[in-house]
Amino acid sequence: MFAITLREFKSLFQSIRAILIIVVLFGVTIGSAKLVSQFKGQLSDLGLGDNAYIIGLMLLLFLASPLFVTSISHSSVNKEIESKTIRFLATKTSRENIIFGKFLGNVSFWVICLTVALLLIVPFSKSFPIVDLIQSIIFVSYFIGLSLFLSTVVNSSAMTMFVGIFISIALPVIGMWSLIWKNVIVDTLSYLTPYYYYTQENTAYTYLVLIHIAVFVIASLMIFKRRDL
Amino acid sequence: MLALRATNLTKQYGNKTVVNQLNLEIKQGVIFGFLGQNGAGKSTFINMITGLVRPTSGTFELLGAPNDSLKDVRTRIGVLPDYSTFYENFTALDHLKYFSKVLGLKTTTDELKQLLRDVQLEDAIDVKTKNYSFGMKKKLGIAQALINRPEILFLDEPTSGVDANSILGIHTLIRKIAADGTTIFLTSHNLDEVEKLCTEIAIMQDGTIQTQGTMEELREQHEKNITVHVKHALLDNDTRQHLQNKLSTLAKDVNVSSTHSTFIVQSEHDIAKINSYLVSQHVNVYRLEVEEASLEEIFLNLGSEIRSA
Repeated sequence: MFAITLREFKSLFQSIRAILIIVVLFGVTIGSAKLVSQFKGQLSDLGLGDNAYIIGLMLLLFLASPLFVTSISHSSVNKEIESKTIRFLATKTSRENIIFGKFLGNVSFWVICLTVALLLIVPFSKSFPIVDLIQSIIFVSYFIGLSLFLSTVVNSSAMTMFVGIFISIALPVIGMWSLIWKNVIVDTLSYLTPYYYYTQENTAYTYLVLIHIAVFVIASLMIFKRRDL
Repeated sequence: MLALRATNLTKQYGNKTVVNQLNLEIKQGVIFGFLGQNGAGKSTFINMITGLVRPTSGTFELLGAPNDSLKDVRTRIGVLPDYSTFYENFTALDHLKYFSKVLGLKTTTDELKQLLRDVQLEDAIDVKTKNYSFGMKKKLGIAQALINRPEILFLDEPTSGVDANSILGIHTLIRKIAADGTTIFLTSHNLDEVEKLCTEIAIMQDGTIQTQGTMEELREQHEKNITVHVKHALLDNDTRQHLQNKLSTLAKDVNVSSTHSTFIVQSEHDIAKINSYLVSQHVNVYRLEVEEASLEEIFLNLGSEIRSA
């Protein structure tokens, strides 16, 4: 499994899209940290304190990470099925190892990116926001799990790109919409998105998103195990 | 001990039955040839056995492990699947290193390079596979199937698209691997290849095995025409004419010349009868050669048997 994780991790760092995402992520993080540091006093008065340094990064993650994640992870399984490279793998290891390996490879990529992005804030905040790191990892893992699920369910990688972009736009919209407009359908849908849990006062809610991630990964595995390759 | 046992193995795609209640037993240490026309179900059968495709019904045991416990034998089998491709930006060595890690092996780079030399890819070890020809990819496919020194090796069309010189090399390699005790299961459209390499052969049609056995057993079951060449003492014209007439009642396509005769019989008993007759006529036979039916003839005979049935 770890061989697949490592290959997935390395291949993500080699793609142009991933490099662009890293540049944007780091650029926005440094930019927002510098900006926030200029208004430190005013932000403290508003009660945002030191957390203000990561507001830029978290805002970027909330709005753009669905798009970032789906654009690089939407085809992690179906592309290998399309190209038939999966046939060598599937005769050498179990399907569990393939799915978990790919999931962990993608998560590892984002763990590194987010850790480095938050390390870039340390000179301004003078502390490392470990809880924020964990929460942001859980947040992107939701979309990694969703992308993995899509790439297992949908055969065509072009189609998962399209569906992935649609969902990446729809989920933040539903999540934000539920904050300002009370409606049974929108509220129900919002429970399926991570935004509901990330906008609750009690930050412990964010860990409930782990259940969504587990559901996505287990569902991907069950579908993949039944597929003819 | 059996390397493989399939019991009523069936695969259906919608209404189409590709493999139909197939039963097969393969002993360890044999080179088993699986023949059949396109669409006969050969590749689907291999894909089911190697875990790429789920059987619709039926069971199998691979190296003693049942089909729902394939996890336990993955490191003991090698597979060259049909229609498979490599990661374009990986070199041959990168592939072998990766697959070796996936299998959990501790293979050294030198061992992997030796494997690539064995399949005649020594000049392309560090070339990315996007620059490989079809034949080179086949060779790499064989190399990756051998990383773990498998107990059973599945080769689906190992020489299709490979140049003649390389085919000889691959045949030598297959014989060497088999001599080391590995069971080899290969499919091929090249009947000559199967006849030369395989110790046991099965012919598949419409999803079922039509016949199975050693080459000798297949000849006994399906040989229809046996060509016999006889070298004999010089015959005068009268004797020659007499033999021509008499042999024509026992054999087909009789051609008696002054020193050589050729004829086609239906069974080995007819050869004995003709030989006795020649002896009774005081014809000195110097040499009697029986031209055995090739696998191609058996394959064609079987096809016509099935059609007429």
